[in-house]
Amino acid sequence: MQAGPGGGVVGSATRMRCLYLFNRQGVCLHYHVWLRPVSVLSRQEDQKLIFGLLFSLKLFTAKMDPVGGGKGQLGAAQLQGQGCSFHSFRTDTYKLSFMETPTGLKLVLITDPKMGDLREAMKHIYSSIYVEYVVKNPLYTPDMPFKCELFNQNLDNYVKTLS
Amino acid sequence: MRLHPTKPELTARRVEAIGFQVGLQLAERYTKERPRFGDHLEAIKFICKDFWAEVFKKQIDNLKTNHRGVFVLQDNRFRWLTRFSLDAPTSGNGASSGEPNPANAARASQAAGQYLYFPCGLIRGALTNLGVPCAVSAEVSALPACSFIVRIKG
Repeated sequence: MQAGPGGGVVGSATRMRCLYLFNRQGVCLHYHVWLRPVSVLSRQEDQKLIFGLLFSLKLFTAKMDPVGGGKGQLGAAQLQGQGCSFHSFRTDTYKLSFMETPTGLKLVLITDPKMGDLREAMKHIYSSIYVEYVVKNPLYTPDMPFKCELFNQNLDNYVKTLS
Repeated sequence: MRLHPTKPELTARRVEAIGFQVGLQLAERYTKERPRFGDHLEAIKFICKDFWAEVFKKQIDNLKTNHRGVFVLQDNRFRWLTRFSLDAPTSGNGASSGEPNPANAARASQAAGQYLYFPCGLIRGALTNLGVPCAVSAEVSALPACSFIVRIKG
């Protein structure tokens, strides 16, 4: 077992690195890190970079779609499976997975490159962890950044089961 | 809680009063088919079993009394507090820790007190309409468990 940078203990079997949650406006609601040895940019710049990337990639994939209507609804929320949006990319050192909910919430997961398809996992994180422990928390103001304890605990427990 | 942001006591009383009205009418509705209760203890048991089951889909887990008009109703997993959670305190570089924090748990228990005025009113309203005048207060020891203390008047 090795200690992650946050002081939490991360099992060596876990291949998750970080998680970002953005709202429609690009505000990072939550940043969760398990393993990130090298960090080049400041926290703010890093989050802005990721959000900008998502925005550009979604636009690009919609435009390049050979099958779809090509209307490219900028920023409009779409149901899961509708429209054409990228869901992951992979490099030698990491894999970035992306999911957008119909409410415009964007979930980004950075993992070990050998991880398989994480779309089901991201759906679970959204519906059974975020909605249950953040949205249903009486103390939470919607659309604000949060560090909710129950969310953190349940997310860590869930992530331990993935690998 | 935004009704009187600078006067929590006024909010508490208002919310408790709203709970009281709701409790009154719910008691009316849930006891439509039943005969009147024999004594105070039967009314309290009704609250613990049928009333709680209708409103919260579970029963009260533990009922204690000192046989002198004070009852303690303990719910080990109060439905309205199961998702109650404070923000984890930041640790240096701002990364989140998954470990539960005892100091934070104490603060959460305190903050939860505000959200128990409505259920207290609910119990008081229901019991009052069943012929048991009382005062109800709540205590949170460890989320999501909480206790309601019923003091019978007269």
